[in-house]
Amino acid sequence: MRVVVTGMGVVSPIGTGVEQFWNAAINGVSGIDMVQSFDSSKLNSKIAGEVKQFDPASFLSPKYIDQTDRFTQFALHAANQAVEDAGGLDYYSPYRIAVVLGSGMGGFATFESSALRRFQDRSIPPFTVPRIMANSAGAWIATKYGFKGTNLTCSTACSSGANAIGIGLDLLRSGRADAVIVGGAEACVLPLTMTGFEALHALSTGFNDQPQRASRPFAKGRDGFVMGEGAGVLILEKQSDAEGRGAKTYAQLAGYGCACDATHIVAPDMGGQVAAMQAALHDASVKPESVDYINAHATSTPLGDVVETRAIKHLFAEHAGKLSISATKSMIGHSIGASAAIGAIAAIQTLRTQMIHPTINLVEADPDCDLDYTANQAVERKVSTVVCNAFGFGGNNVSIVFTNL
Amino acid sequence: MDTTNLEAQVLEFISAKVENIDASGITTASQFAELGFDSMDTIQLLFDAEEKFGISFDGDEVKNFRNVGDIIEYIKNHPAASS
Repeated sequence: MRVVVTGMGVVSPIGTGVEQFWNAAINGVSGIDMVQSFDSSKLNSKIAGEVKQFDPASFLSPKYIDQTDRFTQFALHAANQAVEDAGGLDYYSPYRIAVVLGSGMGGFATFESSALRRFQDRSIPPFTVPRIMANSAGAWIATKYGFKGTNLTCSTACSSGANAIGIGLDLLRSGRADAVIVGGAEACVLPLTMTGFEALHALSTGFNDQPQRASRPFAKGRDGFVMGEGAGVLILEKQSDAEGRGAKTYAQLAGYGCACDATHIVAPDMGGQVAAMQAALHDASVKPESVDYINAHATSTPLGDVVETRAIKHLFAEHAGKLSISATKSMIGHSIGASAAIGAIAAIQTLRTQMIHPTINLVEADPDCDLDYTANQAVERKVSTVVCNAFGFGGNNVSIVFTNL
Repeated sequence: MDTTNLEAQVLEFISAKVENIDASGITTASQFAELGFDSMDTIQLLFDAEEKFGISFDGDEVKNFRNVGDIIEYIKNHPAASS
């Protein structure tokens, strides 16, 4: 059975809507700036990739704004785009339409604001719990559209969105659903969350005066990731059904693989990353030498980018040097559970446009990062098979393979 | 808080919260259920009223609130609840 992508939606620091996002990505636009949503002066990392000018009132009534966290609002906006892009899903029984969303933190904006009120002895909003719960984004998408099938939420930190896409593939293959809304959403440009990542020395702190240069995967002098936010949503269907209902198709979701390092709660491990990529290629029946492009996990941490480079070299051997690789996070920062869903959209756009977006801020590469990362300028290339990587805390490694139809 | 024109202030506040209802027909006797607020919506509405009017409803008394006038009466009768 072939599973295809028939709709896409994205909310990101460099654009809302696939066209705006992709246009910015191809042009190497940075969405990183000083934090605007709260006073970050007491943080060491004062910058982020925020979704600016996001107005939930443009698509939600005041009542539903009260009942939803920002991450759910991102997810709903991206889902609205994707469902519309797919031409609606009325073709299917509502009980056969599933939703699988990923989020690393869930409704943490609500958590932080309600916790602050509680510690100040003030009452807290009544929808605090339903806004915080990680499955609220998936539940709201289902409620908005009446999708009554399986409704799941993956929370595997930075790989959440990739796991959600993979589980969507499994639901279609196993016959548990006929169409699946998959993706990821995150909104954790927040004081406590950022302080928490700071405490792990995971965030960039050396580029507060030059925010757009801070996220620099594979570059010499990189010093951590930049917090981001956003959402990416895809519509998955069986190719036979999609063609039967006359839908346009963007790419085939050919395979999915995951592996747990089982070594350390936060440190990356090459073996797990290799195993995930290998499993995804095997699942897709694709040989390593057929891969043209990797949308790398590449968060701009000193260790992570080197380990991913080693994993790619280990698995692809001499073909590694022929691959095009790029890091979407160089432009949008790290949107945790949304990042792989946005990366997957970039990977699909690569197949559609035969253009590879650049890794920006890569003027001088780290000597230990010696592959072709598409430095600073987009390149045109014949591309038929792409891999999207996502590696998360918990030692969770996920790879997804998309191919041209 | 300034209770001058309290009734008008509360009616204006409620009018901004209703959806698919003709706000001009809202009176102090309007019940929350008639205005489209289910029980959870009403809890949210009362929370928003606390924020808007700088008051704190007593947990037991608020359970008996049924209409717009109940909010107004409470604020009038509990000046100490205002901050």
